[in-house]
Amino acid sequence: MIQCKECGATQYEGALFCSECGRFLMEDGRAATDVLPFSDYGHRPPPPPPDDFRLEALPEAKNITFVIPHSRHRRVIGLAGQIRVGRSGSETDDFPELDLTDENGAELGVSRVHATIQWSNHGLVLIDLESTNGTLLNNYRLPPKRPYPLRSGDEIRFGDLLIHVFFE
Amino acid sequence: MSGETTYYSILGLSVNASSEAVREAFATRVAQFPTQAEDNPEYQKLLQAYEVLNDPERRSVYDSLMAEMSPSPLVVNVQLSRSRLPVSNTPQILYLLIEVNPPRQNAKARRPLNLCLVLDRSTSMQGQRLDFLKSAVELVVDKLAPEDMISVVAFSDRAEVVQPPIHVAHKSAIVHHVRNIRASGGTEIYQGLLAGVGQLRNTPLSQYNNHLILLTDGHTYGDAQECINLSAQAAAQQIGISAFGLGNEWNDSFLDSLVTSSGGQSAFIEEPAQIVAHLQQRIQGLGMIHAQNLRLIKDFPAHVRLQYAFKLLPFAQPLEANGSEIKLGNIEGKGALSFLLELALQPQQHEGRISVPLDIAADIPGRNAKDQVFKNRAQILVTANPLEAAPPKDLVKAVRMLNMYRMNEKVWEEIEAGNVGVAATRLQHLTTRLLEAGEIKLAQQAHAETERLASMGSLSAEGWKRLKYGTRAMIGETVRMENNDSV
Repeated sequence: MIQCKECGATQYEGALFCSECGRFLMEDGRAATDVLPFSDYGHRPPPPPPDDFRLEALPEAKNITFVIPHSRHRRVIGLAGQIRVGRSGSETDDFPELDLTDENGAELGVSRVHATIQWSNHGLVLIDLESTNGTLLNNYRLPPKRPYPLRSGDEIRFGDLLIHVFFE
Repeated sequence: MSGETTYYSILGLSVNASSEAVREAFATRVAQFPTQAEDNPEYQKLLQAYEVLNDPERRSVYDSLMAEMSPSPLVVNVQLSRSRLPVSNTPQILYLLIEVNPPRQNAKARRPLNLCLVLDRSTSMQGQRLDFLKSAVELVVDKLAPEDMISVVAFSDRAEVVQPPIHVAHKSAIVHHVRNIRASGGTEIYQGLLAGVGQLRNTPLSQYNNHLILLTDGHTYGDAQECINLSAQAAAQQIGISAFGLGNEWNDSFLDSLVTSSGGQSAFIEEPAQIVAHLQQRIQGLGMIHAQNLRLIKDFPAHVRLQYAFKLLPFAQPLEANGSEIKLGNIEGKGALSFLLELALQPQQHEGRISVPLDIAADIPGRNAKDQVFKNRAQILVTANPLEAAPPKDLVKAVRMLNMYRMNEKVWEEIEAGNVGVAATRLQHLTTRLLEAGEIKLAQQAHAETERLASMGSLSAEGWKRLKYGTRAMIGETVRMENNDSV
């Protein structure tokens, strides 16, 4: 059972609007991505993206390992095309390859469509997709929609969720 | 079409998506590609889908190609407020937004319409009401196709056939007869309905789309149950019924239940000048019924209970949730039929899967198919750690509007139960919500009725109808705007 914050009426779980006063029951927490206070790391200007950058087909299959320190989870994802980072939602049946829903993603400020990792002529690149709380690469806050080369051992923060990346 | 890639699925759109929705979907998707993605095949596909769907001409060619390839005469799309539920010791609510689409077809699917207008000519109709009604009939006749049949019945305490079924081509005769209707007498709706249904039956029902439109401004006394029985018989013979109430004397719950068995529309016409607009909107699409007599077969598991059912498209109308089937009406024109279900689930104390059958039965006149069943089901996962996903936006929007309509109903229930204070508080809440939704006129109406309730202890008959049918119309308009501009 849940309680309406406005009129205090008890409502069944899953109700979208309070049947007594009409208030929307889901606006905080569950439905929306939490906006976190702006974090303190990395205000240094990010390195400029390479000029001659272009996406390329991957020459051979590649495994990328993601380590999530707070849950001690380790995810190995084969790169084919792209690795989308985000949370799964009910609007689409589309699951991002690196789905952070179960890593407490919503609370830690991970957007549904947060970032993507792709292959280019400069190797692996990370691109923030205009996420609500931004993406930090080694404490650099990335401007959205610009590619930044990734190296093995890099530290990425999606919102407030810290992840280490390793690959060969 | 499930699983198949279409230009619509590439953009994540329903086939009824408006041109705005196409542009919006493209913009969001293209933003996910890096700046120089010309070589990316996914990007190319997206671009191609957009170019076709954004061009009305190319889109209609594509639609007709798709229709020819589509094996099923109906396409059902189900959206859930949540597809994963937490394990819980208390009951939970689940909303389902179900959309039934005809495949895009060409206009050849039209069958002639067999329409009967049953018009109230009681004394109270005298003057403006009857004048507007007469000119509305003329305009309706103009809108129909030459092969359509029309008949007209006028009733007071008895009924007379003003115009037996005749091809619309004979317009001048029809207009002449309708002009001669004179107001006098009381209101006995059953007489009018009986005569109207009789006129429709004079035409071979199986070759036509049959519809009766009742227009009244009064209460009927003593014959309400007979009317409802008759409408059920008519529905069984593929005769649809819609009912319009004028002014504030008529009985709203009676008109609502009169149209239930055929899935027709009941609505309130505030001003005589609006008669034309309401009738025109109603007959639009009536001649192009792609599927009729749609029913949701209610075969829910024991722990799933249907609390509320409401039709959103082609018009907003509460549905009768009791009984073994929910009567949904027809798919009119090219547009979809959609409806919302509110389900209450008994406490789910263990992980598992809930499967809710959502089979829809329909008659498809174009294929001579009767009671064809379209199988569907919704799958819900019960898990200890459900994913936290936001419910689909369309669904939330529809539930928001519906909730306001129901708050309104509850105001009435409280008043009937004598709880005027509770009713007034609720009405105040409703005023706030209507304001939030930008429905200024309805909010003012709700505010005026709150004050009236506080000082006199009751609502005005007219104010109540305005609120009830106003919030209902608001649902329809919201959903229509969302859905399409193609009907």
